[in-house]
Amino acid sequence: MLQSRFLLLAMLALGFFVTPVLAQRPNSELVARQVDTLLVSDIGVETPPKSSVPLITDDAFVRRVMLDLAGELPTPEELVTFTLDADAHKRARMVDQLLNDPRFGDNWARYWRDVILYRRTEERALLSAAAVEEYLSESLNENKSWDEIATDFITAEGDVREDGRTALIMAQAGQPEDTVAEISRIFMGIQIQCAQCHDHPTDRWEREQFHELAAFFPRVAVRPNRQAEKRTFLVTAVDFFPRFLRGNPNARFRGTAEHLMPDLENPAEPGEQMKPVFFATGDALSLGTRDADRRGALADWLTSANNEWFAKAYVNRIWAELVGEGFYEPVDDLGPDRECSAPQTLDLLADSFVASAYDVKWLFRTIMATDAYQRPSQSRRAWEDAPFQANANQRLRGDQLFNSLMQALGINEELATRAGGGMQGAYGFRGGPRTFFNAAFGYDPSDHRDEITGSVQQALLMMNSPNINRAMSANNFNGLGRMLRTIPDDQELIVELYLRTLARAPTSDEIQTCVEYLKEVGDRSEAFEDLQWSLVNSTEFLHRR
Amino acid sequence: MSLHHQVDINVNRFGTFGRRDFLRTISASAAAAGTLSWTDLMTLRAAELRQQHKACILLWMQGGPSQFETFSPKPGHANGGDTKAIATNVSGIQISENLPLTAKVMDKTCLIRSMNSKEGSHPRASYLMHTGYLPTASIKHPTLGSVVLHDLGPKEFDLPGFVRIGRAGRGNAGGGYLGVKYDAFSMQTAERVPDNTTLATTDTRYERRMKLLGKLETQFAENGGKQEVADHREVYDTASRMVLSPKMDAFDISKEPAAVRQAYGSSDFAAGCLLARRLVETGVTFVEVSAGNWDTHQDNFEQVRGLCGQVDQPYAQLLVDLEQRGMLEDTLVVWMGEFGRTPRINPRAGRDHYPRAFNVALAGGGVKGGQVVGQTDPSGSDVTDRPVGVSDLFRTICHSLGIDADNEYMSGVGRPMKVVDGGEVISEVFG
Repeated sequence: MLQSRFLLLAMLALGFFVTPVLAQRPNSELVARQVDTLLVSDIGVETPPKSSVPLITDDAFVRRVMLDLAGELPTPEELVTFTLDADAHKRARMVDQLLNDPRFGDNWARYWRDVILYRRTEERALLSAAAVEEYLSESLNENKSWDEIATDFITAEGDVREDGRTALIMAQAGQPEDTVAEISRIFMGIQIQCAQCHDHPTDRWEREQFHELAAFFPRVAVRPNRQAEKRTFLVTAVDFFPRFLRGNPNARFRGTAEHLMPDLENPAEPGEQMKPVFFATGDALSLGTRDADRRGALADWLTSANNEWFAKAYVNRIWAELVGEGFYEPVDDLGPDRECSAPQTLDLLADSFVASAYDVKWLFRTIMATDAYQRPSQSRRAWEDAPFQANANQRLRGDQLFNSLMQALGINEELATRAGGGMQGAYGFRGGPRTFFNAAFGYDPSDHRDEITGSVQQALLMMNSPNINRAMSANNFNGLGRMLRTIPDDQELIVELYLRTLARAPTSDEIQTCVEYLKEVGDRSEAFEDLQWSLVNSTEFLHRR
Repeated sequence: MSLHHQVDINVNRFGTFGRRDFLRTISASAAAAGTLSWTDLMTLRAAELRQQHKACILLWMQGGPSQFETFSPKPGHANGGDTKAIATNVSGIQISENLPLTAKVMDKTCLIRSMNSKEGSHPRASYLMHTGYLPTASIKHPTLGSVVLHDLGPKEFDLPGFVRIGRAGRGNAGGGYLGVKYDAFSMQTAERVPDNTTLATTDTRYERRMKLLGKLETQFAENGGKQEVADHREVYDTASRMVLSPKMDAFDISKEPAAVRQAYGSSDFAAGCLLARRLVETGVTFVEVSAGNWDTHQDNFEQVRGLCGQVDQPYAQLLVDLEQRGMLEDTLVVWMGEFGRTPRINPRAGRDHYPRAFNVALAGGGVKGGQVVGQTDPSGSDVTDRPVGVSDLFRTICHSLGIDADNEYMSGVGRPMKVVDGGEVISEVFG
């Protein structure tokens, strides 16, 4: 403990955080080095010295950063160019380049869309899926800071089909309790909803504090938008409560003036009026405050540097996605009484993230510069093994896998969507092959990754789906069909298929296996269809390693 | 044609023979006479293939059903609301008016009215009621279906031994430390056969492809992906056996006569119950059918009436059907959710989460029907007689199925874990 304080002080003294110009971000490269040092002291096990365990190879690195940032595979050209590049800083350069690629926004927008919508209590929240994706993609690409994004979600008003910022509130149908529980979980990693009915048995938050948090949201109403052509909803603020309209304290269509905490002893009673108080900082408002001031104040307090949970929750989540394991798991349950596997490291990253003014791209750049990120990957560690000795294999999210499949098979998503007749999903939300595929392969990104395993249904889809099998046909104009016609040399074609599908060259053993298989089958087209089928159905294709 | 005729005659005699006698007769005589194909024979021998002949159907009432509007009406008390109690076919036992058909199979049902736990959050309570344990970070406990499959599943069986039907809630858990081999095969609906169960190529070419895939997996397995490759292989093996199996017909409820479908009713849950019966008949060890959402924080009375309307007929018919086919004695049917609902009615005419006193219904599998275990006080707030904890319930389920609840598995963390921790069998359940 003393030692860690000392280390932090020393870093401060070295001008590590405090730079004369406040707006200047902490140096990613420096913080990354400190992270690697602190991890050793945090974990108490000497992480393998760099000399003995080399970082991942260039080709593995390219596949990893492409999937992590752009959400898809590198092309064979990108792979080859990068591997041959002699620049010593090419990895950092590649990360920068991808952070400025619009696919970065698309990829992480889909991630957060899933974080929000997988926990929906209101099915019709799917109406906001496309809008929230668009809003997030734009915001992330223009590097809107994380506090601004959080503020947008907390203070949102508007049509749920048009304005993606409303998605979080819509997902909980505007119910104050459910909405604040999600805000707390997503932006602070605190599961305060357990205190809804009773004082939390294991955490220190009390029931009253939960309802004081809910008291920031009573004046939010979610109601059908009668003006719109398509069926949709409006998230609005209501500050006018004439006496004749009072009565039903539960009308989410209209909102209520104040939040009432039900009386557990006398549930038939209306309950106690709660003042808006933010449990993490103790900041409070008075009864009667207008909605805009309530939610605005909550957003300010929640995203302020005084609230350590805000930075920590984001850092923990992004670290978990990139390194394969969070400091806290599951990623949205930080405490206050949970155990952190590397507290000094998390503190350093969170403090630096605050110093960066919640610069999202800065955090990616920093984590990706660490050795912890760039180590070769392994299966998830056994419970008793020390953490962060390797990057952990991650199952691809539905969207990442869909993109990879489209690339490997040379399919154009737009054409495929049109050919598929643009399947209309429930409530008319955007359909198409991607939605269909996500229904089978998607998962809630907040769930513990131990629990996300492959299923028989997924295997059946990959193996037997008529669409996927048709796309592999040797008779096609594109994809494998084209390659069969343009690459006459078998070995060359084997390499090409490996590069396209697994983003690496085959080993000599693998080439031999394939060549033997070609001989066994006799028919070139048929054999290559089988090879393409096998690569797409392989474990490696399904994972980011 | 004559083959079907033969099977029908035999199936009609199912009830009178007693299942094992019948099977012995069928396998010896019919097979010897060559009147049944191998497939038919396998189907009929399902129970024989399953170790100990036992199976279990879990009817999962996701969201936490109100005990007051289902099995424990309290018409005399303010907490009971307007829900009326009706008589059942067992004198002295009354249940809610929302379950008129269930009332007619009360003689087959053992009602536990004194179920209680301390867990009132959906995912945690679902996990608890599925695994018998509270969730922890270090150990992933296997869900009930996985345990039953692990202990009772046949050594060789083509179809997944554990099938889940309906939209899954959170916290229902999977194979846990037993491994992906024991995970559920999930289907959203019982109305159509699972997607992608027809091969895209010929059997021979498919098997050739699988062999190639196996060879190409070694590179990743040797370079950091050992666990993932092993898990993937399990899943693909299961999928392969399944699609190549002639037993896949079991998934197709359209193969049932219209009268049978009508008897179950028309809800999704009805289709699920019918499919559950077909699957168990074919040799599947554990089927979980979900109904819900029972999370009635508002308009409890209206909502529960509707939900009961979906559940009442299929539940009653499932028991009748299983009995008529001579399968009830070997098939335990469990009806439960993650907790009950508050005795006090909240200002939104709803009921909130209440784990302190709720209901579980057991039938079949050696359970003595027509009885009630435990009771609550007139307000429904507290258990006043024979409290039943989660471990007691799990022990009782194990007892019914012939699973040793003290059996220890090696969990992933190298710590032995009992199937059930503590608790006692509720002996009166078995009469």
